[in-house]
Amino acid sequence: MSTPSRTPTSSPSPRPASVATAPGPTRHRPVRGRPRLRTSYAQDLALLNTPAKRRSTIALVVVSFLVPFLVTDDLLLVFTLGLIASVGTIGLNLVTGYAGQVSLGHAFFIGVGAYTGAILGGSEDASVVGYGLPMLVWLPAAGLVAALLGALVGPIAVRLRGLYLAIVTLGLVFLGDHVFREADSLTGGPGVGRRGAQLEILGIDFNASGMLLGLEISRAQRQFFLALVFLIVFAVLARNLTRSGVGRAFAAVRDRDVAAEVIGIDITRTKMLAFALSSFFAGVTGAMYYAVIGVFEPGAFGLLLSVQYLAMVLIGGVATISGSIMGALFITALPRISQELAHVVPFISESATGGGLLSVFQLEAILYGLLIVGFLIFEPRGLYGIWLRIRNYWKGWPFSY
Amino acid sequence: MSSSSLVAAGGARTSWTPESTLPRRVREHARSTPDRVTLREKNLGVWEEVTCAGYWDSAVLVGHALLALGTGVGDRVAVHSENRREWLYADIGTVAIRAVTVGLYPTNPAAEVLHVLRDSGAAVLIAEDQEQVDKALEVVDDLPDLRHIVYIEPRGITGRYTDRRLMSWEEFLALGAAHRSEHPGAVDRLVDEAEPGDVATLVYTSGTTGPPKGAMLTIANIEFATSIFRQEGSGFVTATPKDLIVSYLPLCHVAERAFTVWLNAASGTQVNFAESIDTVQQALRDVQPTIVFGVPRIWEKIVAGVHIRMSGASRLKRANFALWLKAADWIGSTLVANRGRHTLATRLVYAVGWLVLYRPLRERLGLGKARYAASGAAPIAPEVLKFFMGIGVPMHEVYGMTENSAIATGNRPGRVVLGTVGEPQVGTELRLDEQTGEVLTRHPGTFAGYWRNPEATAKTIDADGWLRTGDVGEWVDGTHLRITDRIKDIIITAGGKNIAPSEIENHLKASPYIKEAIVIGDRRKYLTALIGIELDTVGEWAQRQRIPFTTYRDLSEKSEVRKLVQGIVDETNRRFAEVETIKRFALLPKQLDHEDGELTATQKVKRSAIADQFAELIEGLYSETVGAGR
Repeated sequence: MSTPSRTPTSSPSPRPASVATAPGPTRHRPVRGRPRLRTSYAQDLALLNTPAKRRSTIALVVVSFLVPFLVTDDLLLVFTLGLIASVGTIGLNLVTGYAGQVSLGHAFFIGVGAYTGAILGGSEDASVVGYGLPMLVWLPAAGLVAALLGALVGPIAVRLRGLYLAIVTLGLVFLGDHVFREADSLTGGPGVGRRGAQLEILGIDFNASGMLLGLEISRAQRQFFLALVFLIVFAVLARNLTRSGVGRAFAAVRDRDVAAEVIGIDITRTKMLAFALSSFFAGVTGAMYYAVIGVFEPGAFGLLLSVQYLAMVLIGGVATISGSIMGALFITALPRISQELAHVVPFISESATGGGLLSVFQLEAILYGLLIVGFLIFEPRGLYGIWLRIRNYWKGWPFSY
Repeated sequence: MSSSSLVAAGGARTSWTPESTLPRRVREHARSTPDRVTLREKNLGVWEEVTCAGYWDSAVLVGHALLALGTGVGDRVAVHSENRREWLYADIGTVAIRAVTVGLYPTNPAAEVLHVLRDSGAAVLIAEDQEQVDKALEVVDDLPDLRHIVYIEPRGITGRYTDRRLMSWEEFLALGAAHRSEHPGAVDRLVDEAEPGDVATLVYTSGTTGPPKGAMLTIANIEFATSIFRQEGSGFVTATPKDLIVSYLPLCHVAERAFTVWLNAASGTQVNFAESIDTVQQALRDVQPTIVFGVPRIWEKIVAGVHIRMSGASRLKRANFALWLKAADWIGSTLVANRGRHTLATRLVYAVGWLVLYRPLRERLGLGKARYAASGAAPIAPEVLKFFMGIGVPMHEVYGMTENSAIATGNRPGRVVLGTVGEPQVGTELRLDEQTGEVLTRHPGTFAGYWRNPEATAKTIDADGWLRTGDVGEWVDGTHLRITDRIKDIIITAGGKNIAPSEIENHLKASPYIKEAIVIGDRRKYLTALIGIELDTVGEWAQRQRIPFTTYRDLSEKSEVRKLVQGIVDETNRRFAEVETIKRFALLPKQLDHEDGELTATQKVKRSAIADQFAELIEGLYSETVGAGR
């Protein structure tokens, strides 16, 4: 029922100024037990718009919080790093997956974040600077500094596309690498390194073991919880971002930036925002990741790290949040997986110098390559695509479509 | 057996007086539970809700608007629209001011629109959109009584049409608002003045034989029907405000009107309207109604759709479906033997099947929460009912017609006899004519007569108030009624055998590949059939068999398709006696259509029209030497 059109001609019947229409919808409460009966668009757009999604998300979070009590501490550290890397992957996915701007410079932003965090939050010693500020300061600061640098890249992306943009961002990595190596007083210099920031928030020290809330909780367990909360916060943030206007603008720019501009999207602003947001995620990841690792040195932020994050995005799933998490967890666990494989497969030695056909490190490198090639050929949508196929198989039950 | 008169408890005909009217009931809901959602309509992807108070308010506004247009007591107001909220506002608003609602089928071509509007002498027409307005304007010169045409959807009309009679729904309601402020309470007064004998609606019969006749249903008739809905154990389901239904069949048909408007007024059910007739499947999935009414064609189509989609499923899913369908068949048979009640074994099998097939299947069909499903308005093949019973949809065949306010018999939950239309409803007297076996009913819901047609009325209601239904029936187990066929359709072969064609036809139509079957053989040596294939399923089948085809006609002329149909015909023949077997058949070269006059608005086959249209085809079945036509 729309109001009469504005055509002025030939309507003899009286058209009153105030048009009384039938009382329309009055309330927007969802109908119990009928999730598909959507009475407002808000229900349609909700983050968890079906009971199945609600239930499985709650179950997943509960299980995640139980993980530290089920696995050993050394494995837990792998998960912890995977969770933190997930945030960085989500960041790269925002700019590369959602906004379609290929970035090889992710390692640079992670490095910037790592050093900002370490300088602001680390303790001062003989060779390096450190201010020992609380985590509530150094964590956002690490993100903001990286974001600022990211925003500077944005305008370049407006002029360049695809391969050219990739090369430019690659340049960033080399610039960063050089600066990190030379700034001894900040980074400790190559081969020496420095300690990361202090992980302490709300009076809880995440580098110590001991009683917490009446439970004996080890250092690894504490760090896992911290990383889990960290990931949940940033994952929800990113998810909300991508389903809002900003996310849709990203997708529009990705699909065709000229067309996006025609429908009124400010390309410069959007691309800058994409790089800034992505870099913010990278910055906080860098600060957190190396705070958990402990000592790190400037060589860590080379091209390899960028490629590693790209691999996480590709294997996890381009332009998906949950895919980013899956990819990050998988790639961080890859060294551990190849180690476990070495126990089972006879011709793989566990040390770099030992006998056998392959060392674990070679195996890892080979797996890397195979996985990337394999995923690109067989499942370009990544791990998320595999999950999607499984889900659709059951969702369609008992039909196939 | 045939002459036994059966009076169920609860009603001598004379002592029954209506307690309320439809508008009063709607008003009552609005006063007692104003904020409860009672109507929903999907628009632009969102289900818009209307509360009880909103429903009544809109109906009152329509009533005032009609008064403002000079509609008086007993005047006819026609509604020509798909199912939507405005249909209900118009219906209740019209009855509220003691006028008479006349419904038209949205598929009615202009000629039938002319017939119904002229016959009823409608003063106001509420048309849905440009399509319906065009039909009315095409014949408007022959309609002297028609003073106003209100259109609901302005698209294509505003600014382009200049007819003085046209008015938009908004303008119409604005008139009502103005009238209400001038004469507050005018509609309420008329609602209170309404008398049981007032004609509330004219329901035009589908007219398989002649032009449609308008059956007058009075307030008392409708009240009797609603009293059946409200009564526990009456044979229909006892609905509550928690029940949801999807309204999708034409509202001008008495069955849908009963399930939508009357049931809502009686019990406060929540009525849901789909975005359009094409999205009904989607709407069913969204709403998951608890009470579902369908005509056989709908149920057959659902079964056919399941088979099509299943044939495209992966191997494992097909195997799962086949296994559990077999189980469902067994459950269905056991239920049938047990009158619709479960045994321990069926419960166990059903529980496992529920997990792997029945629950997801029902959910996909929109029948996941169905606690009562009914089929009526035409005969249905028992196989189709059994399919639904097997997958856990409590399916009941009911029987009734326009002339008895859709109230005659129904299968009661737990007392289902498959192949019958159930037991007489509470308060319904039902007997079979001694000579012809025709079903006769008598109850307060028997209509007041045909509009301006006393001869037809006299032929239908006898002096004692018995209604001649025109259906031949017989008793099963002494309690349940089985309808053999329409009395006019009974075939008497040249050999003098009486044959009910609909039984054979329904057997054929139970196959997902067959949409239409018309058995022929009156005063002939043997039976033949015209068969129309179901384009969707046969098309899918042909694709899988790698048979290329272009059009419906091309497909039905393929020898492989003939062979496929032959198999179904042979299968059916095995179930019937020798004289009842179909010796030869022809495939219809086109899909039967309402526009071409081959089907009624309710998709019933007009036999006489078919006999004319395909005379050559039929003669071919009898004249050629046997075997040549195959």
